[in-house]
Amino acid sequence: MAMKAMLIDAMRCIGCRGCQVACKTWNGRKAEKTEFFSGPGYQNPGDLSAETLTLITYNEVQVNGRFDWVFGKKQCMHCNTPACAAACPVGALKKLESGPVIYQKHRCIGCRYCMLACPFEIPRFEYDSANPYITKCTMCADRLETGGVPACSKVCPTGAIAFGDRDEMIREAQHRINQNPSGYYHEIYGLEEAGGTCVLHISNVPFDKLGHRTDVPKHAVNKDTEQAMEAIPIVMLGLAALLGGIYMLRTRTVHHESDAPRADG
Amino acid sequence: MTNHFIDMTNADVVMICGSNAAENHPIAMRWIRKTRERGAVVICVDPRYTRTAAFADVYCKLRSGTDIAFVNGMINYALQNDRIHREYVRQYTNASFLISPNYDFQNGLFSGYDAAKRSYDRSLWQYELDGDGIPKRDMTLEHPRCVFQLMKKFYERYDLETSCRITGAPMEDYRRTCEIFTSTWAPDRVGTWLYAMGTTQHTHGTQNIRSYSTLQLLLGNVGMAGGGVNALRGESNVQGSTDMGLLFNVLPGYLKAPAKGMESLQQYLDDATPKSKDPLSANWWQNYPKYIVSLLKAYWGEHATPANDFAYSHLPKTSGNHSFISLFEAMHAGKMRGLFCFGQNPAVGGPNSGKEREALGKLEWLVCVDLFETDTSVFWKRPGTDPSGIATEVFLLPAAASMEKEGSVVSSGRWVQWRYKAVDPPEEARTDSRIVSDLVRRMKEAYKAGGTFPDPILHLTWDYGDEPEPDIHRVAKEMNGRFLRDAVVNEKEFKAGQQVPGFAVLTSDGSTSCGSWIYAGSYTDAGNMSARRNKEDAPNGLGLYPKWAWCWPVNRRILYNRASCDPSGRPWDPKRWVIRWNPQLAEGKGGWEGDVPDGPWPPEAKLPFIMRPEGLACLFANSLVDGPFPEHYEPLESPVRNLMSGQRCSPVIKIWEPDKIGDSSRYPIVATTYRVSEHWQAGAMTRNTPWLVELVPDVFVELSTDLAKRKGIRNGDWVLVETARGSMRARALVTQRFEPFLIDGQLVDQIGIPWHWGFAGLATGDSANLLTPHVGDANTMIPEYKAFLCSLRKSGEVA
Ligand code: SF4
Ligand code: SF4
Ligand code: SF4
Ligand code: SF4
Repeated sequence: MAMKAMLIDAMRCIGCRGCQVACKTWNGRKAEKTEFFSGPGYQNPGDLSAETLTLITYNEVQVNGRFDWVFGKKQCMHCNTPACAAACPVGALKKLESGPVIYQKHRCIGCRYCMLACPFEIPRFEYDSANPYITKCTMCADRLETGGVPACSKVCPTGAIAFGDRDEMIREAQHRINQNPSGYYHEIYGLEEAGGTCVLHISNVPFDKLGHRTDVPKHAVNKDTEQAMEAIPIVMLGLAALLGGIYMLRTRTVHHESDAPRADG
Repeated sequence: MTNHFIDMTNADVVMICGSNAAENHPIAMRWIRKTRERGAVVICVDPRYTRTAAFADVYCKLRSGTDIAFVNGMINYALQNDRIHREYVRQYTNASFLISPNYDFQNGLFSGYDAAKRSYDRSLWQYELDGDGIPKRDMTLEHPRCVFQLMKKFYERYDLETSCRITGAPMEDYRRTCEIFTSTWAPDRVGTWLYAMGTTQHTHGTQNIRSYSTLQLLLGNVGMAGGGVNALRGESNVQGSTDMGLLFNVLPGYLKAPAKGMESLQQYLDDATPKSKDPLSANWWQNYPKYIVSLLKAYWGEHATPANDFAYSHLPKTSGNHSFISLFEAMHAGKMRGLFCFGQNPAVGGPNSGKEREALGKLEWLVCVDLFETDTSVFWKRPGTDPSGIATEVFLLPAAASMEKEGSVVSSGRWVQWRYKAVDPPEEARTDSRIVSDLVRRMKEAYKAGGTFPDPILHLTWDYGDEPEPDIHRVAKEMNGRFLRDAVVNEKEFKAGQQVPGFAVLTSDGSTSCGSWIYAGSYTDAGNMSARRNKEDAPNGLGLYPKWAWCWPVNRRILYNRASCDPSGRPWDPKRWVIRWNPQLAEGKGGWEGDVPDGPWPPEAKLPFIMRPEGLACLFANSLVDGPFPEHYEPLESPVRNLMSGQRCSPVIKIWEPDKIGDSSRYPIVATTYRVSEHWQAGAMTRNTPWLVELVPDVFVELSTDLAKRKGIRNGDWVLVETARGSMRARALVTQRFEPFLIDGQLVDQIGIPWHWGFAGLATGDSANLLTPHVGDANTMIPEYKAFLCSLRKSGEVA
């Protein structure tokens, strides 16, 4: 299978959040308890979390001297050279040839190196769970396996989340920018970020205005496990004992799940 | 809609005014996005920078309740700068008709006003007729009393400056809006006008729509692909329910509900059937008798005979205005005993809902049929109420959701689309039709033992199979209509039991029955047309998809499509032809191709607007109670005087509670209500869905940074909003997306409140409708939810 990618177009997005709900529905993620709004505009929840794998941001900005309201979509970028996978000591995170970076929960020991390694600050940890796992967007790898498209892409009313071969998505992004050069910002976010990703963004405003990190280097950020460990703040090392405990728990889980390994979160 | 959703891809300019399509009809944006990427310009006109505004190329703000001033200015701009499709206007509208000298307009009042009755004598607004009874025309459009000249005079008062002073629209944005939209006057450019409840929910809501229609007709945009006047209906299948006679004043198929005094069928028909002496007018409604008799036959079958006026006497007669507000006023006055609420939640959705909640307590019984326990069903235990003082007996029946039953859903574009049942309803939940059917069967049983006037119940046709669950296909077939006996119609033979192929063969002699004449053709002997899923487009490639589902009437996808051609049958815009006359067809006799035309006649044989007795579209009409032209009036409550005349608000609106009108000295801020994408109507479904509650958990008020600063309110603070009806608390969302308006040199603030919340369910909060007034549009009585006055202040935390 050719490498797939998602193309997210802020010019097409109407901020309806069908995607956010579809993602929770398909992935069986719980609603979070929120109050009023937890970020600018209508944003809720405040950030990605163990239960929220994708998030729409509402940004009041000035474009060419005029006020505008633009919507960004946060989720895993599905890096071509995923720093999270490189940092993972047990190979629980894995880049598929078809694009998605998947998480094999039965392998995970809960060390959270992946969280520190990810340049986009994507993976989250189920702190509230007795048997916690890492969660992040899977690009709906389970849907792709049977020829489907990601749930968020399927549900999007305006076609703001295109899905297809990565080469094709890059051509499409370029085409849209060429068709409307005064409307679009002339870059494709994800084309080179972190060595290229399988989630591409185009927009009418610079990407930092949508809440995306623009300080990510345009080459692979391959921290191996050791480097990732070095980056762990000293306070977190105190959790080592807990991690050991989780590992014990996990080995039992692996035992149970080994007959039917699943490629999801 | 005159057109349909996919047709938006054919537009060069998309005007979204009175609609927040991105939030309330997100799927519309799929098609609007496509046409925008083709180079079309999308304009959003709204008091607030909405998610639709964010999507649009041009945004122009206006103060709530000033649509007419806004659009009349556009009309004037088109007239003054000759940006109109002159041939279209001359040939297809009543611009050339001469109007009686009795028509006049002075200081905000049309002639014929009776101040005591607060109504107009509309007979003064008549055409001048020639000796044959045909309206006189001046095709040069020069006669001082022709509609065109009267229009020029009427609209010239709305120059750009005046429109901006009233609406608060910034001149630069307004001029740009006028220029871009009126660019569609050219025959090969077309613009569509999308509206919704932002337009209708005003005391002059109907005239708002008329102003849009007038502009669209001047630009020659009606009947065209990518054009039209398009209502984005407020709920899924609300189109279907209005088609079926949801409103108090219509029967299925928009036949008039008979009123008291129309005691015989003939009296009713004399009133309802329009007449025309113009041989060029198709005057389609002359077929009225066929439709009403076929409907009566559907209701009472063999018991409806020529001898008993087809059981016409069984039809209830309206004894006045029984629209929503009137019903609740009557209920509040103790004049009603019972109420059925099917999927409706007036305790949240009704205007002045505090009063409506009180009214529910005066009923003997209340039946709520819904998916969840609604606020209405537990009105008796709302906060601050003592249930022991309420005697109403309440029944809550669990209903099946749309995915749990089979049937048709009609889109705003009039497409009747059949849906299959996906899953069984849970537990004891039942379909609405089953609930109604059980009730009817038991009523019939009860009436067998006698009762007052039992015949309408006992004789009512209820022929939907023997199962408790009515066979919904039989219902759909009944709507389509069938032959009750062998008959020859239009030289064609039909057998008893045959489904009618279309409404052209319905008869007034009792040989056909039809539950809704506009649905004739939807379920024929060839099968259920609305279940079709063929993705092949028509030869004109406009996205009509004629074999996808079915569309009323007669599968015509674009209404008034005869007007898309010049009088010889050639399309005004050959690139986007909807229909065209092909002389080669029918063995040289000629025929139309493309969409189903508005009638089969050759181009010259009939005028294009076949539903009007004139055969033409009306730029001037006496059908509305509040004037033949749309005139700007302020909402019932407004912070400013009417800059157009001494007549502050519409002179013919019915004011229920004169003591409940707020004054701008006490309530200086304009408020409006609306919905958000994440919640649905009165919230029963969405406020009980955790994923949606996560997104928008609490009721909030949107206000400008400017107003917030003056009031010392920060984002997230609790605020108290008060009106002459009531008060509510909400969280403040301080945003640049609202700005104060400059109205005739005066700074006017506006705020907005989504109205989804109530006291029942998972996410609760005060209802915005505690604030809204019991006043409605002069024609339809739709409540004025969209513009009223309030005060706003910071409030302490609430528990
Ligand atoms: S974005 Fe982060 S979590 Fe996602 S693949 Fe890249 S490194 Fe891994
Ligand atoms: S928590 Fe540790 S083991 Fe689990 S996926 Fe992340 S890096 Fe790998
Ligand atoms: S691709 Fe799947 S997992 Fe990722 S954001 Fe979309 S729906 Fe959620
Ligand atoms: S579903 Fe599409 S349009 Fe709606 S918020 Fe998500 S990306 Fe934007």
